[in-house]
Amino acid sequence: MRERIRRELTFHTPVLGVGPEPDISKYASELLVCPNCDAVHRAVVLGRHEVAACVACGRVVARHHSLSVDQLLALTVAAALLFLIANSYPLMTIEVGGMHTEATVWEAALLMLHGWAAWPAAVLALSMFILPLLQIALLLWVLAFARFGRRAPGFRGLLVVLHRSRPWSMTEVFLLGALVAIVKLSSWVHVTPGIGIWALASLTILLTILSMVEPRFWWTLLQAQA
Amino acid sequence: MNTPVRAIEIGLVVCRTCGLVMQRMPAPSPPTSCRRCTTLLRERLPRSAEHTLAWLSAGVILYIPANVLPVMYVSGVGGGEGSTILGGVLSFWRAGSWDIAALIFTASVAVPTTKFLALGLLLWTVHRGSSWASKQRTVLYRLVEIIGYWSMLDVVVVALTAALLKFKALGTAEPRLGIVFFCGVVVATMIAALSFDPRLIWDMGANDGH
Repeated sequence: MRERIRRELTFHTPVLGVGPEPDISKYASELLVCPNCDAVHRAVVLGRHEVAACVACGRVVARHHSLSVDQLLALTVAAALLFLIANSYPLMTIEVGGMHTEATVWEAALLMLHGWAAWPAAVLALSMFILPLLQIALLLWVLAFARFGRRAPGFRGLLVVLHRSRPWSMTEVFLLGALVAIVKLSSWVHVTPGIGIWALASLTILLTILSMVEPRFWWTLLQAQA
Repeated sequence: MNTPVRAIEIGLVVCRTCGLVMQRMPAPSPPTSCRRCTTLLRERLPRSAEHTLAWLSAGVILYIPANVLPVMYVSGVGGGEGSTILGGVLSFWRAGSWDIAALIFTASVAVPTTKFLALGLLLWTVHRGSSWASKQRTVLYRLVEIIGYWSMLDVVVVALTAALLKFKALGTAEPRLGIVFFCGVVVATMIAALSFDPRLIWDMGANDGH
């Protein structure tokens, strides 16, 4: 059983007591600033399974990442394959009196693309299909180059896109929605869950693991190579 | 316990994209870009409270038609009927699937309402310059951030049901206007939460001179 260990942080003590610090460039990398409350901490080296939380507001400001570039690349390749499977096999099939229909992830969004329903359909297509695909593609690109000790072309811009698009990528919501739809429809018609839903469930787990890697990791990946 | 030193007090600025800690240029100079990722460096998100209030109000206004108008129209052998969000929850409840009813109620009613109240409370206390329960209010903000996108659940359910139930003779389901407004509520409240800078909660506490 893995357990998260919380490491105690200490606040940074300013050199001059009050007012602007004289020159922080020498020790800026030793400071951790909480994005939620702006408290400045002294950075610590974290061991396996350790996380460091802000002393003032409790937000996790740093976590240990035990995954190597190779392992992350393997997870991303797996996620890409699962994405392919989740979108080429039906999520579920329904049957009424000999007739049957089935739906894949993108079909659900595409079928709503008429008239005013195009608005929510576009949001769905973006958050359930386009952005997860974009994130997997960006991770593959960046990690494949890092694997061979190289900095991927467009590294900087792509990482910013990766960071900005994260709150809008919602595979887990789609998974729960699909499960609710199965239960809902099963009261009227015969519903069979398809291969797509298993692939979607596995994809959700992998994307969650990949999103746990903190931004700092990706940016220092660049520094190490540059 | 000692009081925290805050980045803004000692002339530090942290990049909100990559987390790099840098020294701030003296006040009159225009904002600079992050050395590592070129994001424009801001000590606080500019006009954060105004933006949040605007998006939050948009969300609250859109929530009214989202609940009044039907979100889906289901036609079967015995004619058709439109159903609203609450109507859908009630029909699940009556059919005995209390678990699905609870799930949809949580995603479509409890989560948006919690977001309205929580962001409203945060905006009001920040506006008043309150230093009350700063830590708890920051935790509340993180809660809003986490639960935000789960409201999309009903949009997904409607889209999938409409995509699957298309047997002309036996039954069809179509999305209705309510779902457009509901989707608008989710997007507006998510942008509201992203525009809110939680450090404002702590700035007020510091100004009170505690």
